[in-house]
Amino acid sequence: MRRHIPLASLACLTMLSLAACGGGDADPASYPEDEITLVVPFSAGGPTDTVARLIAEPMAEELGADIVVQNVEGAGGTIAGGQVADADADGYEVLIHHIGMSTAPALYPDLAYSPLEDFKTVGLVTDVPMTIVARPDFEPETLEELVTYVKENADTVTLANAGVGAASQLCGLLIEQAVGVDLTEVPYDGTGPALTDLVGGQVDFMCDQTTNTASQIQAGEIKGYAVTTPEPVEALPDLPTTAEAGLPDVEVGVWHGLYVPADTPDEIVEKLTAALEVALEDQNVIDQMGTLGTTPVPAEDVTPEAHTAKLEEQIDLWTPIIEESGVTGG
Amino acid sequence: MSTHTGEGPDAGTRPAPFRPDLFAGAAFIVLGLAFAIGGAQYDVGSALRMGSGYVPIALGGTLTVLGLLVVVMAFRGGDPAIRDVVRPPVPWRRAGLLVAAILFFGFTVGGLGLGPTLLVTTFLAALAAPEVKPLRAALTAAGITALCLVVFVALLQLKLPLFGDWLGG
Amino acid sequence: MDGILLGLETALQPSNILICLLGVTLGTAVGVLPGIGPTATVALLLPITFEFDPVASLIMLAGIYYGAQYGGSTTAILLNLPGESSSVVTALDGHQMAKQGRAGPALATAALGSFFAGTVATVVLAMFAPPLAQLALKFGPADFFSIVVLGLIASIALASGSTVKALAMIVLGLLLGTIGQDQFTGVPRFTFGVRELYGGLDFVSLAVGLFGLAEILRNLESKQSSELVTRKVQGLWLTRDDFRRIRMPVLRGTVLGSALGVLPGGGHVLASFTSYSLEKRLSKEPKKFGTGVIEGVAAPESANNAAAQTSFIPLLSLGLPTHPVMALLVGAFIIQGIVPGPQVIEQEPELVWGLIASMWVGNLLLVLLNLPLIGIWVRMLTVPYNVLFPAIIAFASIGCYSIGLNAWDVFAIAGAGLLGYFLIRWGCEAAPLLLGFVLGPLLEENLRRAMIISRGDPSVFVTRPISASLLLLAAIIIVVAVLPSVRKKREVVFQGEDD
Repeated sequence: MRRHIPLASLACLTMLSLAACGGGDADPASYPEDEITLVVPFSAGGPTDTVARLIAEPMAEELGADIVVQNVEGAGGTIAGGQVADADADGYEVLIHHIGMSTAPALYPDLAYSPLEDFKTVGLVTDVPMTIVARPDFEPETLEELVTYVKENADTVTLANAGVGAASQLCGLLIEQAVGVDLTEVPYDGTGPALTDLVGGQVDFMCDQTTNTASQIQAGEIKGYAVTTPEPVEALPDLPTTAEAGLPDVEVGVWHGLYVPADTPDEIVEKLTAALEVALEDQNVIDQMGTLGTTPVPAEDVTPEAHTAKLEEQIDLWTPIIEESGVTGG
Repeated sequence: MSTHTGEGPDAGTRPAPFRPDLFAGAAFIVLGLAFAIGGAQYDVGSALRMGSGYVPIALGGTLTVLGLLVVVMAFRGGDPAIRDVVRPPVPWRRAGLLVAAILFFGFTVGGLGLGPTLLVTTFLAALAAPEVKPLRAALTAAGITALCLVVFVALLQLKLPLFGDWLGG
Repeated sequence: MDGILLGLETALQPSNILICLLGVTLGTAVGVLPGIGPTATVALLLPITFEFDPVASLIMLAGIYYGAQYGGSTTAILLNLPGESSSVVTALDGHQMAKQGRAGPALATAALGSFFAGTVATVVLAMFAPPLAQLALKFGPADFFSIVVLGLIASIALASGSTVKALAMIVLGLLLGTIGQDQFTGVPRFTFGVRELYGGLDFVSLAVGLFGLAEILRNLESKQSSELVTRKVQGLWLTRDDFRRIRMPVLRGTVLGSALGVLPGGGHVLASFTSYSLEKRLSKEPKKFGTGVIEGVAAPESANNAAAQTSFIPLLSLGLPTHPVMALLVGAFIIQGIVPGPQVIEQEPELVWGLIASMWVGNLLLVLLNLPLIGIWVRMLTVPYNVLFPAIIAFASIGCYSIGLNAWDVFAIAGAGLLGYFLIRWGCEAAPLLLGFVLGPLLEENLRRAMIISRGDPSVFVTRPISASLLLLAAIIIVVAVLPSVRKKREVVFQGEDD
């Protein structure tokens, strides 16, 4: 039995590694010669971290260099954003960020960097669908009923979210705007506690990532109304899309992309994009994303052009919504 | 904690206000007011939607009142738990060295890297020891630095550069 | 009971025992480092577990978690450096015991108490998880606010000195807890434009400063190095009298911890504080608490470990993480291709029961691993103080910095150290402040959330049965316990009038 225990982890703990002091001059042609750091702006174990670790392995294989995931948390991901914006433009520090990249300028008026000017985009990774869900004994049974109910009871309905700037808050804002009501928002510190109170019936409804809600919907612990993507989600075949159910304006996904500092040579960006493309075709990556209720983006979106277009479009979408709602990150 | 597990509150009273209580009370009042005034810069909101300032103002006010009570206590004989404990004077030089050591670490670890920063930090800290000679402190610093590098860099593989950008690393 | 047998079968496979041992050892080794608390240890070591298959990786993670907690208690006892809110209380009497040469019995008590509590809590977990989880869901924000109030009121007993000062320290802690981005509006409070402070002050930095650095400064008050901290060691093991004294505290701590751990939203935080306060209230010699009594180590360590165990209940039976470490575990589940949810226990029985059983195995291994190690840990205290304290400064600085690469976490040590040193000199104690700091955000967020949900009607706190009974209990505690001591104090200090 003893033979079956992978000792690699022990070895990596005891190995003396001075690679961290490396860095050095970048020759785009010979990139990568060194370990690459993939900076995750959220905690280890979160959905974005999971996506990062999923793609890191096949990307590293393709590039022929190690990729190390580093979690730099704080201030809605803007600490990590600032770190990579200021990093050497040699391709050895890569940022993965989600929809928050496009909302940061509106949420943080004193943001020290510009998502469009201080970064080069590498490509989109995945677009995690969201679901509109409610406590199990909430009256409305369908999305249409929910819209009517919310309009009639705008004073008493409570809308939970996972905190300022979280995807669930953004989706909530979109719902309020689409329905034309101003609801009582109940913020939580992350999706876990919000979902707990939803299951426990303390709050009425919310909108959050499939990753977090799918298993609860399947088990009947919460009520699912719709998914917020143009296409239905495989794991939740019974749920219509918001467009089908009458709220076409509520279309939102937690999209992820890779970024490098703005001065990074194009040759390096091309290599990273190519590696990302290979990683997203990896069967293991596709399967694992499946358990998260998502899929890799189609191949044509794994390009800097498509990524930049998405980023611009999303900044234009969210900036007025956030400004109108008066929400601020600081 | 051990400081004021002193020999009991049975000794006599003092005529002047008891200074530790005076200081403690003053500290609470200053901090309480600071938080309350600072909190007033933010939206107070209503009971339904409490703003960011609501709780800091309420708590800051409470702390101020408690600070006043401690000051009153100082004039009424002082806290019996520490009244009779004689404390040595504040070791200002040593405290300064330790604080300098920690601040130096925070300011330079990113730029100088772990190696040089640790050497200086541990040297400053070691200098704070009683009856220590500079050479001895330097040796202590070198030893601790080596130990830390082995533990954090070699064994734990933390991603902290040994030498930072300021040294052209 | 079939489940637990399946679990034991899984956990007792030789390879899984080895994995668990590896996790426990690594967790202890990292957790014992000053400045790195259990949550940080789990986050640091999490990536290692990704290399294993799902069952093995979760078993290892559970091992790391319990190892890290025990390592954290070791540092709290030996060096007065708590790495997590739970070990703050352990440090109160544990470090005093270490100073009196009784570090061995303190460490052994922590290990044995934790093992007993872990065993009981594992049984609770195995037998009552689903009903307890359903019960826990009844807890709304208003109820949680009330239990935090109850915890704060009960914990005034933490202080051995003046009640007014202890209250002031709690309130100061609550205020320090408001620093950082307001979760409700996103407004950064008291951050002075420093983005690194948006996440608030780091608990470990604050604890290391208030306890560790303040203690060093106090030791450095003496002129000669020979005066520094007596390092005699009297016996490594518990005496018969010790065993008699820890029996009931361990039992009560286990019960209290098991109950609090189940609550969503952070009940585990209250476990060690309230069990310490309870023991102090029940003790015939409450004044001795804080001077190195073994009950003051036994109760909180048991409560904490029981709570750590039962806080898995919402995760395993509902798929809901209620604890930062649980959130990390969810990530580990997902990386392994398992989506935690209400059905996980049916879909992956081997995994869930294996995890539960390996928690118990992990606790057992911890005892076996650490009892022989006590001798080595205690020897650490014989390192000359002139070398020990600069090393503590270095380790703590690196530890706090390495978690978030945030220089402000290091500055906070210096600030908290100075604040703590002077406040302690002036007869105020650090433990109530830290309790306030930990509970502050819970108090504020649940108050505000409850008020939003009730649409601004404060009567919600007395019309909900759970909340009302908790507040009633808090009121009884004030009447029964605090009033007499206040009256006594008034006679001494205020000569019998207003407040």
